[in-house]
Amino acid sequence: MNMEKMKIIITVNDRQHTLFVSPDRTLLEILREELNLIGTKKGCDDSNCGVCTVLMDGMAVKSCTILIPQANGHSITTIEGLERENSLHPLQQSFIDYFAVQCGFCTPAMILTAKAILDENPNASEEDIREGLHGNICRCTGYKKIVEAIEAVRDGEYKESCGGV
Amino acid sequence: MRFEKYFEPTTVEDCCQILKEHGSDAKILAGGTDIVPRLKNKSWNPIAIIGIGKIPHIDDIVVSKEGLELGAGAQLRKISMDKSLEKDYKVIMEAAGHVSSMQIRNIATIGGNACNASPSADAIQGLMVMDATAVIASSQGTREVPIEDFFTGPGKNVLNEGEILLRFKVPAPKPGTGAVYKKFAIRGDTDISIVGVACRLTLQEDGTIEEARISLAAVAPKPIRVMAAEKALVDKKLTAELIEEIGEIAADICTPISDQRGTAEYRKEMIRVWTRHALKEAKERANAS
Ligand code: FES
Ligand code: FES
Repeated sequence: MNMEKMKIIITVNDRQHTLFVSPDRTLLEILREELNLIGTKKGCDDSNCGVCTVLMDGMAVKSCTILIPQANGHSITTIEGLERENSLHPLQQSFIDYFAVQCGFCTPAMILTAKAILDENPNASEEDIREGLHGNICRCTGYKKIVEAIEAVRDGEYKESCGGV
Repeated sequence: MRFEKYFEPTTVEDCCQILKEHGSDAKILAGGTDIVPRLKNKSWNPIAIIGIGKIPHIDDIVVSKEGLELGAGAQLRKISMDKSLEKDYKVIMEAAGHVSSMQIRNIATIGGNACNASPSADAIQGLMVMDATAVIASSQGTREVPIEDFFTGPGKNVLNEGEILLRFKVPAPKPGTGAVYKKFAIRGDTDISIVGVACRLTLQEDGTIEEARISLAAVAPKPIRVMAAEKALVDKKLTAELIEEIGEIAADICTPISDQRGTAEYRKEMIRVWTRHALKEAKERANAS
């Protein structure tokens, strides 16, 4: 039996999409397979590793564990939505400058989680940042560089080159 | 395919109707953080999924003079950051805030944490010591169940076929009340608790304990209250000896298992330790209230 498709309207990176998809698919699957936004990664696929993190209405969520109807009517930001006018987002630039990227598999999710942390609390302490990153696993960097990169943006180091966070 | 039908009722009545029609073939989807992985790995194979996010007021958090009404669909992060809970219901915020990571708390719900009925569930521990009542609906109407009777075993709860958990009601605490939830896990909140201890003390003006609640996580087939310890606290002042004694009682009563997170003996020892911490902190909070 084929499941009835469902009409889903989601805004992804400021563009509205109307999709007819099976409601048993995850937000992650829709982003990667229907919208071709493969910056969002699939790791564990069971909500442990955090590499599938996207922002839903500005809040960090794990897209592998959200069924697409749960995202219906909501606004999603993926890593592809951060850069503007050919310039990187401050967090993207700082991750590069502070060597916070090694294999890079965790990076899109780290950056989006970092954005959620700073958007909510622009003065987040190192402890707040580490607490906020708890759901994101990085097997390469040891987190120190990642935290430093986020602190640099918090401290305003990238305001002039790339515009506000 | 992970299921065959998806429903999104917009009233409690419709939801109950769908539940009734599908019986045990239906599962409710709130935040999905427990159910979606199980749908994907096929450990659960329901025919129908019922998303409850569109039911009005299902995620409401309402504080009044009488107490708190906490919608089953309220997200854990929303609860943990709701300033209106800070004064009287801090322990509920705290317990909700100790579940997993920010990403999960943003979407997982208090009702989901209860219905999933994990013995190690953190979020419901605040409700356990605040005497919460679960409000459950079916096509026959609603019924209320005290939170400590809501859990019936690992992964099992009191809901019958056709029923849905709507909200929790928490009575307003008396003056002189302090409560705390202590989670003990190796890797912080993202980790599953080795043990957890929630404690509430309501003190009279001279410091005599009028009412006490102690609840334990991850050391029995379900979350448990330690009534013997609660009784032993009443009408006394919290002395160092009494704290020791209560720690003993809690350690004696719990029946943990050994698993990769800790042996049964270790868990009992940790219950003793964390019960002591929880008592001290609950008292400090009661004094400050
Ligand atoms: S892929 Fe979603 S948390 Fe690992
Ligand atoms: S850079 Fe490789 S996992 Fe983080």
